[in-house]
Amino acid sequence: MKASLTTSAILHVTALAFALVSLGSPEPLDVANTETLPVDLVPIEEFTQIQQGDKNAPMTETAAPVPTTRPDIVENAQNVGDNKVDIKAPPMPTAKPSDNESAAAPPKQEKPAPVVDTKPTASTEVAKEDTAPPPQEVAALPQQKPDPTPPKPTPEPTPEPEAAAPEEAMPLPDNLPVPAAKPKPEPPKEQAKPAEKPPEKKPEPKAAEKPTDKKVADKKQEVAKTASSKESDFNADDIAALLNKQAPANGGAKRSTQTASLGGKTNTGGSKLSQSEMDALRGQIQNNWSYIAGIEGADGVVIRVQMKLDQSGAIVGDPEVSSSGGSDTARRTLESSARRAVLRSSPFKNLPADKYDAWGDVVVNFTPSDLL
Amino acid sequence: MEQAALEAATHDVSLWALFMQAGLIVKLVMVGLIGASVWTWAIVIDKYLNFAKARRQFDQFEQVFWSGQSLEELYRTLSDRQNNGLAAIFVAAMREWKKSFERGARSPIGLQMRIDRAMDVTMSREAESYEARLGSLATIGSAGPFIGLFGTVVGIMTSFQAIAGSQSTNLAVVAPGIAEALLATAIGLVAAIPAVMAYNKFTADAGKLSSRMEGFADEFSAILSRQIDEKLQPRQAAQ
Repeated sequence: MKASLTTSAILHVTALAFALVSLGSPEPLDVANTETLPVDLVPIEEFTQIQQGDKNAPMTETAAPVPTTRPDIVENAQNVGDNKVDIKAPPMPTAKPSDNESAAAPPKQEKPAPVVDTKPTASTEVAKEDTAPPPQEVAALPQQKPDPTPPKPTPEPTPEPEAAAPEEAMPLPDNLPVPAAKPKPEPPKEQAKPAEKPPEKKPEPKAAEKPTDKKVADKKQEVAKTASSKESDFNADDIAALLNKQAPANGGAKRSTQTASLGGKTNTGGSKLSQSEMDALRGQIQNNWSYIAGIEGADGVVIRVQMKLDQSGAIVGDPEVSSSGGSDTARRTLESSARRAVLRSSPFKNLPADKYDAWGDVVVNFTPSDLL
Repeated sequence: MEQAALEAATHDVSLWALFMQAGLIVKLVMVGLIGASVWTWAIVIDKYLNFAKARRQFDQFEQVFWSGQSLEELYRTLSDRQNNGLAAIFVAAMREWKKSFERGARSPIGLQMRIDRAMDVTMSREAESYEARLGSLATIGSAGPFIGLFGTVVGIMTSFQAIAGSQSTNLAVVAPGIAEALLATAIGLVAAIPAVMAYNKFTADAGKLSSRMEGFADEFSAILSRQIDEKLQPRQAAQ
């Protein structure tokens, strides 16, 4: 017995160990974390029969959008708004009305232009000359200078390296710290001076040095100017100005003068039957109603007819006639006569086809005492 | 502490975690049922080996007995040993026979009765050894599911109390407690099902063995009765 007991115990321990390993922890059930969805029951009318209006306006009898401010009338405009052009987009409250249809020319764009224009024409010419053949002129100027100034050969080498310097500096205009405003008016004078001075034989080394210096400075300026003028095309402000400032949010061009009524941004299709259309429907029934005058207790009887119509205006099924008020006999009589009138007037005419949603299942109320 | 809190938060659902989460009563029930299962299987192994051995011994003895060997000689070889089953019955009967003849039996009927009694006693003793512990198998088999159910009920009770305490009917709150409670029933069934099956099998086996012993005892009694008649007849004739 002992042996079998130990055997059994060992077997159990093994089985338990196996169970702990294999059945250790069952795989967790992967359930997607679903959140509860709030469900609202809303009548579809709210969406199918939205009339254009203002969200914050009180509800009025007639649907009307926010009134427009522009007085001029655009022909055949269908979308309400302050625009010249009829655009379908609904008017945005923030957009200001504007006459501009084209891109508005930004005032900033004009600023860089005068900067270029106001510069002396001479300097620009010089700049063109300088930039086109730079080595020739630079080389020519020093050549003229040695003739009038033989006694002082020392200044010669100094301008040359300076003149050579700009050539090297040409590709690196950014490194030259040159004040853009000051030297501008000077170049014409200086240009005249070197031309006149050599024949006068008064060319002091300073004067000779000056023009070269000035020219070098000019070149530097011009290089800087051309660089800056090129850069100005990509000014971030200009880009903003280039964008079309024409607000598309002005809506259409149809004007509205009524006070705004509660509604959405646009009309969304279906609508209710208008009062006159309802009257037309009622009139068709009344025309076929052979009203028996003088029924006792007919005062205060209100008859409610609910009927389903197909697209052609014919009655589908049986119209539901109910009534209230008055005496029992009068109600019964009037109910049956109303039913006859409704059935006789089928198919109804002149119902707007696009509003079938509104009159497909229609309720008409009658007060027979008013028919007389 | 933190570890335990984390485990509780993630609701570890491994078997060990379920066991550790259970309350004291449920734990006791589970441990008891596992012990019962161990005991059941110990009995099953023991009985299986014993019965196989007994059947083998029965076959061997019957072979020897019916081989035509002298019964006196057989008795002499067997009487020194500790015998089981058929051999024990044979030895008991032969001992009674010897005793009676050594003192000179008066009546053949009395001798016959004594031999039968001796065989009956041995047989019942043997049968008792075969059926020993089968009762506990029956008890485990019938009571195991109830004990497990008790653990489950207690566990579910505590888990519902926990729900009432936390005031949340979220399934995540309820599930571990119920799973842990159901573990008790599962262990009860695991212990009880083999117990019931083993009980049925071993009672049948024990019945077969005792009927075989009864058959042998009857046959041997008949043989001895014939011998008695043959031996006592000449004595009575001489008187």
